[in-house]
Amino acid sequence: MRKILLVAAREYRQITRMRSFWLTLLILPFAFAIAPLAQRFMGDDEPRRVLIIDQSGGDAGRALQGQLELEHGREVLNSLSRYVQRHKLEGADPKALWSQHDRWYADGEVRRFNAQGGSAPALARLKAHAPEGTPDFDPPPPDYQQVPVPPAIARAPASELDARVQPLLKPEGKDAEPVDYIVQIPADFSRNGAVRLWTTGEPGIRFAATVQDVLTRSLRKTWLVANGTAPDVAEAASSVAPSLMISKPPPGGGAKEAMLVRSILPLAASYLLMMALMLSGSWMLQGTVEERSNKLLETVIATVTPEELMYGKLLGTVAVGLTMIAVWIGCGVVAAYATQGAIADMIRPALAPLTSPGTIAAMIYFFIAGYLAISIFFLAVGAISDSMNEAQGYLMPIILAILLPITLLIQGVLEGGKGIGVTILTWVPIWTPFAILARLGTGIPAWEVLGAGLLLAAFVALELIMLGRLFRASLLAQGQKPGLSELISRMRRQDP
Amino acid sequence: MNSTGDIALSLDQVTKRFGAVTAVDRLSFDVRQGEVYGFLGGNGAGKTTSLRMVLDIIRPTEGRIAVLGLPPGRDNAAAIGFLPEERGLYRNMTAIDTIVYFGRLKGMSAADARREGLTLLDRFGLSANSKSTIAQLSKGMAQKVQLATAIVNRPRLLMLDEPFSGLDPVNQGLLEDEIKRAAAGGATVVFSTHVMQHAERLCDRLLLLARGHKKFEGTLDQARDLLPARLSVVSRQSLAALPGVERVEEGAELGGGWRECVLHLQPGVEPGDMLERCFAAGIALRRFEEHRPSLHDVFLHMVGPAEARA
Repeated sequence: MRKILLVAAREYRQITRMRSFWLTLLILPFAFAIAPLAQRFMGDDEPRRVLIIDQSGGDAGRALQGQLELEHGREVLNSLSRYVQRHKLEGADPKALWSQHDRWYADGEVRRFNAQGGSAPALARLKAHAPEGTPDFDPPPPDYQQVPVPPAIARAPASELDARVQPLLKPEGKDAEPVDYIVQIPADFSRNGAVRLWTTGEPGIRFAATVQDVLTRSLRKTWLVANGTAPDVAEAASSVAPSLMISKPPPGGGAKEAMLVRSILPLAASYLLMMALMLSGSWMLQGTVEERSNKLLETVIATVTPEELMYGKLLGTVAVGLTMIAVWIGCGVVAAYATQGAIADMIRPALAPLTSPGTIAAMIYFFIAGYLAISIFFLAVGAISDSMNEAQGYLMPIILAILLPITLLIQGVLEGGKGIGVTILTWVPIWTPFAILARLGTGIPAWEVLGAGLLLAAFVALELIMLGRLFRASLLAQGQKPGLSELISRMRRQDP
Repeated sequence: MNSTGDIALSLDQVTKRFGAVTAVDRLSFDVRQGEVYGFLGGNGAGKTTSLRMVLDIIRPTEGRIAVLGLPPGRDNAAAIGFLPEERGLYRNMTAIDTIVYFGRLKGMSAADARREGLTLLDRFGLSANSKSTIAQLSKGMAQKVQLATAIVNRPRLLMLDEPFSGLDPVNQGLLEDEIKRAAAGGATVVFSTHVMQHAERLCDRLLLLARGHKKFEGTLDQARDLLPARLSVVSRQSLAALPGVERVEEGAELGGGWRECVLHLQPGVEPGDMLERCFAAGIALRRFEEHRPSLHDVFLHMVGPAEARA
């Protein structure tokens, strides 16, 4: 065991001294650090300029404008709720809308919030309650800005409108701002229901849906009134909508016979396992090929057995992988609990459900077993290759065979994880760790976790025996590229 | 087979086959403690295969091996030093870390390995390079570090596979000194080589291998005795009729009736016997020089020129 640890420690030191290791290790924390900045630069904070030409009498246009303001109010309310939750300010008014988190605010609630002055009065109360040093609330900018209708457009006959709006969409002049959306509600809208929308590009789905929704309600109301319904009844009928009550298991719990983590963490763990494996496996492969090409293997295996060398290398690589994961998770925890912002808001709920020791143990087991199961392939390739070029030739089909099904698997899991393909991949040992980790997010029966875990353990044991023989038989066999039959023969050979 | 307790290494009827190829065939020999033992043979003679079996890197097909009284294995790695024919080191490790790593693999504590490693680097003139990576060292320096990894544990049995190949003359001298130093310290040294001069200078006993078979085992003198001695003689009379002379190569006429010749003696005939016979026969001599066969001559005689060139 002492020699295995010595080999592992050397392997670990060699990999962690590589520049590529540090670059890879720091990529994720760097991404966490720059994400808010990148979000600011990548996102378009400028509101879309909207011009509504309502030639139908004004009701439909006002309704559309009101809906756009309502949606912005909902966004401000949501943002204020997250701010209150992040800084634990619910004590300022426990019954206020912004103290009720993670819920959908109904239109009436948002109208009330807007009617009461929006975030301003709420912030005044929060400021009195907030401890020293609490950062100011930064309200989200509005998505849309209403542009007044120019008189020339308002008076333009329908036949000329198309030509007259063009200068608004593509204005001349350096500082001139284009109008992003122009909506024309014609005078005969209530009769034929036709509406025109000019845009400077592809219309946003949300904007188009809002226009569709508001104007549909307007049409229905007009139709009902025209057919003898009282205006107040017609108004109520056009606005009636089902109240959808959703029941779901509480986070981290649920069905007793299934393991379920309502979080993005299992899926993220599956991705991290894949990333860490491919990287550290490549580094270990590089080290093994270096040992062969530098002709130092004979010196090494005069003092350690090939098995000790193999186990040491595997242990060192698993340690490298776990270090990477630990650093990444550590950065995630720091980002979640020691920083504020969108990243913290995203990670914090993901970590919260991780309270079950069984789930944590399952994640750790499949992570380590998965690491061993796949790393052995990298090691075997290193043992039979005299150069990195030769190694790449063996490695490419192996990587494709591992990664392609995982891509499909993750897609399957994102779609609910109930497909037969996902179940099959769960029971094929080289994909078991990825499948189980990913499926923990959608729920997986405990017996399946246990069964697949046992099968994976048996597979790793078989791998260690067979690939151990291959490793031992291949170490000193240089200058000959083994074919499949030779590889099988080496795996069956028991004595060196 | 010697069964006394002073045997450091013993092979008994050892055979190694790789498929249809027999690399070593029923090889038996003993190496006594404190001996410098040479493994001689051309390429493919079975030298490296034999050393690998002794180190348990490969296992014999048949036969028994005892290393310091134990079967081959890493259990006695602490008492063994090994320098392989194909040498290399981890390029990104420093010289001292490399020596410490191999010292620790041989069971030394980190502190002992570091202390001994620094002593060796100092002795090899590499003190200033102890923290340089192997990639930063010259080839000759790296060879010294490699030697240090083999002897850092002060082995009781030092095995060197073609140790002089690829070394510059300075490092060859250094290696010879280290072999003598190890032997003087009581270590047993076994080394394979196909350079006979090194074996002549260093070995107490020799084993000559050809195609996996033992051709000879014994001291240098015993090896030379395998070939008849030659005498360079200047006389006036012919010596061909003297008993014990196998044949005579006549040489140059030196004037005054004196003639140079080379006498090839029959096996077992000593040069001293021949001198006595010359006196007894009243033959006047102006030169009587003995030419003993070199190890190279013996090697050529034993394995044949084609095998020797392999």
